[in-house]
Amino acid sequence: MAVRITLKPALPLIPLLPGLSLLGIVAALLRDGHGGGLPLLQEFAVAAVHPSLDPVVLGSLLNGLQITLIIALLSWGISSVLGVGLGLLCSITVSEIVTGVSWPAVLLRRCLAPLRAVHELIWGLLLLQVFGLNGWVAVCAIAIPYTVLMARVIADQVDCHVSPALPVLKGSGAAPWAVIFTGLVPPLVQPLCDHIGHRLDCALRSTLILGVFGLGGLGTDLSLSLRSLQFQEMWSGLWLLAIAMVILDRCLRMLRAWSRMLIIPVLSPLIAITWGTHLDLQLSWPVGQWSALFANVMDGSQGLSAALEISWPGVIASTLWITLIAGCFATGLPPLLLLAWPGQTSLRIQDLLWRAFRLLPAPLTALLLLMLAKPSLALAGLALGLHHSGVMGRVLMDDIRNTGLRSAQTLKSCGASPRVSWLYGPLADVSRQYLTYAIYRIDVILRDTAIIGLVGGAGLGWQLMEALSSFHWWLVFWIVLTSAVLTLLGESLGERLQGSWNSRAMAL
Amino acid sequence: MTALLELTQACLGQRLQPITLTLRADERVVLLGASGAGKTTLLKLCNGALEPEAGSVHWCGQPHQHLSRRQQRRIGTLWQDLRLVEELSVIQNINSGALGRHGLLWALRNLMGPLEQDCCLELMNQVNLDASLLNQPVRELSGGQRQRVALARLLRQLPEMVLADEPLSALDPTLADDVLNTLLLLPASLISLHRPDLIHRFDRVLGLRHGALVIDAAPETIHRDQMEWLYASP
Repeated sequence: MAVRITLKPALPLIPLLPGLSLLGIVAALLRDGHGGGLPLLQEFAVAAVHPSLDPVVLGSLLNGLQITLIIALLSWGISSVLGVGLGLLCSITVSEIVTGVSWPAVLLRRCLAPLRAVHELIWGLLLLQVFGLNGWVAVCAIAIPYTVLMARVIADQVDCHVSPALPVLKGSGAAPWAVIFTGLVPPLVQPLCDHIGHRLDCALRSTLILGVFGLGGLGTDLSLSLRSLQFQEMWSGLWLLAIAMVILDRCLRMLRAWSRMLIIPVLSPLIAITWGTHLDLQLSWPVGQWSALFANVMDGSQGLSAALEISWPGVIASTLWITLIAGCFATGLPPLLLLAWPGQTSLRIQDLLWRAFRLLPAPLTALLLLMLAKPSLALAGLALGLHHSGVMGRVLMDDIRNTGLRSAQTLKSCGASPRVSWLYGPLADVSRQYLTYAIYRIDVILRDTAIIGLVGGAGLGWQLMEALSSFHWWLVFWIVLTSAVLTLLGESLGERLQGSWNSRAMAL
Repeated sequence: MTALLELTQACLGQRLQPITLTLRADERVVLLGASGAGKTTLLKLCNGALEPEAGSVHWCGQPHQHLSRRQQRRIGTLWQDLRLVEELSVIQNINSGALGRHGLLWALRNLMGPLEQDCCLELMNQVNLDASLLNQPVRELSGGQRQRVALARLLRQLPEMVLADEPLSALDPTLADDVLNTLLLLPASLISLHRPDLIHRFDRVLGLRHGALVIDAAPETIHRDQMEWLYASP
């Protein structure tokens, strides 16, 4: 029998291939690993079932959790409201209805893109330098990129869901805004509710990360507990956070089915400010001096020398390398685990695992891993990959639940083994949408290398931290610019790949 | 003749009243009934996709829920909605019929590229599917082509009994005739149809009405008024 050997992996196989990176990561960990931190890690694991129940600790953690929730709510509410407005302005369809031409929307999109490309942590650190420690710094640091990201998503959704009724409405002589609210807005409501719901979860995680870097809330408490090796206190905080996230997740699932859910982001800033009155949020009007910052940057004589201070190819390569490792790990691990252990029971157990991975902010995962191995690019990639595998795992579980397990049952009834039934069944069914989302996630990972670089001593993030510490504003400028350009290039490449698969991920 | 499938007082709520039935090797059986009469439910009980609420379903004397993989693959199903793997090509879908005979490595290799091409081409020829479609993604095929890919996949499974759920719906008369001929070449079959004019091509006719088995007879003994009553409104 003639067998032609042509290796061209089918789509269902592609999500598994990045899992091969696990071999490299394990090899790197074996090379760089040391057993010195094993007792500490054991202590950390034991503390999970023996968290601190000290009322003083719990009180402080609850206070931190409230601050985190309030900052998340504020930034989510502000970015959602502004994002929807800006999104409509960025939509080519809306622009064509109102002005008759598309260029104003295209121009606005291009102008806003750099704001989105800068990570919220970088925004936080920059605003912190100017305004000092203030609750609004954290809120603005999240709200700025989130608003622009929301605007992009809304604009994409409007342009993708053009109603066939639109030409009829326009032809009827209706006013432009009447056309928009009749023909464009109704099909947008459900995807908008879904996306806005997801953004609250993202805002919570971003607030935690800002907290890890000293901007207050539970993130600061968790970071301090870990750095002082108070694992029991840390676990009390993590359990509180887990409970809060589960409650939030349940509430959002319920609210998504409610068509008036869009009122909540509008009301959330008011709720958050009222809630925060009894907490030390420092929500006074921030006063700072941009002039000092600009005076340094305007002194062009230092610009060129600053640009030549670091080896850009090396720094960029290390950033991309971390992205690649983390992206492969995060994309490959969930389908591999599902293939290794398929079944409905395992779906529930793996769901818990992905929740746990999402719970711990990536910088803290990196600190924990540093107990086991020397700092390296592989370790930074692993830390970032572990956190994002939590997100990818949730996406895979949700996709499979929405698609159903009928295909696995069909194959099993033909005598296929459970693993093969899942490979050709649910995993194959969701492979296209999973890969599409993975491409978007790799964009996010590229942005997130900033937070790992700050911990792991590698990439642009680490260079940024060094530049900020020495108030070297020109170098800060070049690094932020490079980071933004890399993110936008990655985004553009991702969109092309998504287009080639005839699918588009809803940015989460 | 050997009894392959035995249903003893098998029932499923309101959808299927207790049915006792034996299907033998070398027997071609047609299942008739109006829409909603319980044909698909009966076929799903037969292939193990559904478990009876009471009674039992045995394959070669073994309870269905205790069948090994080797025994399961002896029953092939042609589903009404075909259940093809949309992300795979024609050859990969046809090969997925052989997954019950192979392990994970073979399954992975099939995803890497064409495997056992000659065998698949032979099956495509048998179901009148153009060989140029071999590497075409199934989601790009027409309804009739997809139906024939599903049939080729079923043949690749080498089942001893075929359960087919309305395999001729949405096919033109020539294609329907080809598909039925192919199905009737298999050793044993239970085929649900909406075509009373074809019963003479089978050895036995089963008729379902409101979830109850009301006809179980040789085709030559069936009267026209029985058929009219089977499809009549309540």
